[in-house]
Amino acid sequence: MEQLNNAITVSNLSFSYNGSVILNDLNIDIKPGKLTFILGQNGSGKSTFLKVIAGLLVSQKGVIKILGNASDNLNFTDRSKLTGFLNQHHKAIFPFSVEDVVLTGRAGFIRYVPKEADKTASYNAMSKAGVLHLRNRNYTELSGGEQQMVMIARLLAQNPQILLLDEPTTHLDISNQSHVLSLLKQLVSEGMTIVAVMHDPNLAFLYGDDFLFMKNRKIIRADESMQAWDTDFLKTIYEGNIQSIPFNGRALLVPYLN
Amino acid sequence: MNRRIIHLVFYILPLPVILASLFIGPSHTATLGSIMDLFLKNSDDSDLIKSIIFDVRLPRILLSFLVGGSLAISGCSIQAIFRNPLTDSYILGLSSGAAFGAALALAYAFLPVQLSAFIFGLMAVALSYFTARKNKNVSIVSLILSGIIVSGIFTALLTIVQFFSDPFKLQSIVHWTMGNLHNANWVKLRSSVIPITIGVFVIFVYRWRLNVLALGDDEAKTVGINPERDKIIILIAATLASSSAVAVAGIIGLYGLMVPHMIRMVTGPDNQKSIPLNFLFGGTFLLIIDDFSRTISSFEIPIGVFTMLLGAPFFIYLMKKTNIGWNS
Repeated sequence: MEQLNNAITVSNLSFSYNGSVILNDLNIDIKPGKLTFILGQNGSGKSTFLKVIAGLLVSQKGVIKILGNASDNLNFTDRSKLTGFLNQHHKAIFPFSVEDVVLTGRAGFIRYVPKEADKTASYNAMSKAGVLHLRNRNYTELSGGEQQMVMIARLLAQNPQILLLDEPTTHLDISNQSHVLSLLKQLVSEGMTIVAVMHDPNLAFLYGDDFLFMKNRKIIRADESMQAWDTDFLKTIYEGNIQSIPFNGRALLVPYLN
Repeated sequence: MNRRIIHLVFYILPLPVILASLFIGPSHTATLGSIMDLFLKNSDDSDLIKSIIFDVRLPRILLSFLVGGSLAISGCSIQAIFRNPLTDSYILGLSSGAAFGAALALAYAFLPVQLSAFIFGLMAVALSYFTARKNKNVSIVSLILSGIIVSGIFTALLTIVQFFSDPFKLQSIVHWTMGNLHNANWVKLRSSVIPITIGVFVIFVYRWRLNVLALGDDEAKTVGINPERDKIIILIAATLASSSAVAVAGIIGLYGLMVPHMIRMVTGPDNQKSIPLNFLFGGTFLLIIDDFSRTISSFEIPIGVFTMLLGAPFFIYLMKKTNIGWNS
C-alpha cells in the first residue's frame, strides 16, 4: 500500500506563474507521521510548493498523490479531510470571536449550520491549542502570536491527516515559538503528519524529523551519507558563508564573516 | 444577558410595529377610533375605512417590510462575500442597474419589470466587480470607486430612458427612482414576493457559510468550501432580492449598508445570528421610517431621502473606523 510508505508523493511537478518557472520537475516523497521542514532561501518557491500541495495553486504539470489520492481528483471537501493549511498571513476584516473563527474549521463537515458535535470539536481544539481563554475575544484584537495559535486551533478543529504550515513561527516571539513547536511535536507523536515551511533553519534543525530544501526551482534532500545540517551540504543551499555549531547532537547555523 | 433581551426584542418587534402601522396615515377617516368602531358596529364610513386599511395601508406595510428586509439581508451577505463592511447593493451599483432595467421595462414593456431589473442589476454587479479586480484581488476602496462609476453609468442611461419616455410614464419613473413606497398595492406586492422570498431563503440557508467566506478564499478552500461557487450563488440570491425591491420601491440608498451594522452591534459579526435579524429588523425599521415619511408633513417625502440622510453619517463613521487600504 502506497499510503503506508508515503503521506505525499510528488512526481514531475512543474509550476509557472506569469510565464516564469517557479517549480521545475519536482520529485519528492514525504513520510507519514513525521515533522518535515522545508527550508531554502527567500523566494526559492517554498510557499508556492506548499500551496500547490494544499490545492490552492494548480500546477501545470505533474502528479501529486495525497495519502494515495490523486490531488487532481479531489474536491475541496474531500481534500479538507486529508490536508489542512495554515497561511503565512491572514488578514481578518470582521471582528469575529475566536470561537466563531475556530468553528469555521468544521466547514467540511457542516451542511448548513454547525451542530453540537462541531462545537465540541472546536472547544477541544481550542483547549488543545491553549486558546480556550481567548474564545470570547475578537480575533482582530489579538496579537500576531495569538492569532497564529487561533488559526492552528482552527486546523485542529478541522482535524485533517496532514497539516501544511507556511512559516508557522516566523512572526512569533520566542515564547510563542516554543509554544507552537511543542504543540507540533505533540501532534506528530500522536500520529499526525506535518509539513512546514520554515524561515529559520535553526528551529527546524532542533525539532524536525526530516528536511527538504528548495534550490534552483528543485526540491532536494541531503544524501544518506550526510546530515542536513552539515556545513558542506548547507553551503550548496544557502549563498554566503555560514558556519554550523554542534548542538545536542545536531547543529545550529550562524552567518560566518571573514 | 442584556444582549439576549435585545435579541428577543428584535424578534418580536415586527408584530406590534406592523399592527401599529395600520393605524397610521394621512386619512382623517381611518383613525384609531373609527377603526375600533368598525369592529364594534357598522358605521357609514365602514366601506371606506375597510378600503383604506386593506387596499392602501396593508399592502404598503407588507411591501415596506419585504423591501426593507430584502435590502438589509442582501447588504449583509454582500458585505460578507466581498469582505467589505462598506458596501451594499446601492454602493455596488446594483440598485442603479436594477432601476435602469426596471425603467426600461416600464417605458418599453419588452420584458417583465422584475426580470429586467434583475438582469441589469446582475450586470451592474459584474461590472463593478471586474472593474475593481486587480491581480485577483478586490480592495475595499476600489470596489467602492468602481461602484460609483457603474452607478453613474446606469444613472446616465436611466436619464436617457426618461428623456425618451412620454410625460405620463416619465412622472411615474421619476417618482419611483427616488425611492418610494406610496404607490404600493397588492399587484406590486404579488410581483415581488416570490423573487424576494427565493433570494432571502437562499441567503438564510447559507447564513453560517457566510462566516467561512468572510475569512477569505484560501481559508474557505482549505476547510472544504468552494468559494467561487458559493459566492456566485449568494450574489445571485442577493441580486434577486434587492433588484426586486428596487423594481417595486425604487432606489432606497444605503439602507442595506446601515442595517447590517446596527444588527452587528447586537449580535456581533456572526452571520448565523445576524442574517435572520437583518431580515426582521430591516423590515421593521423601514416600516417605521415609512410611517414617519407619511405622517411628518402634509405631502409625502420619498423614503429614499430618509435612508440616505440616515445612512450617510453611518458610512462616514464606518469609513473612519475601518482601516481601508488601497490594496487590501
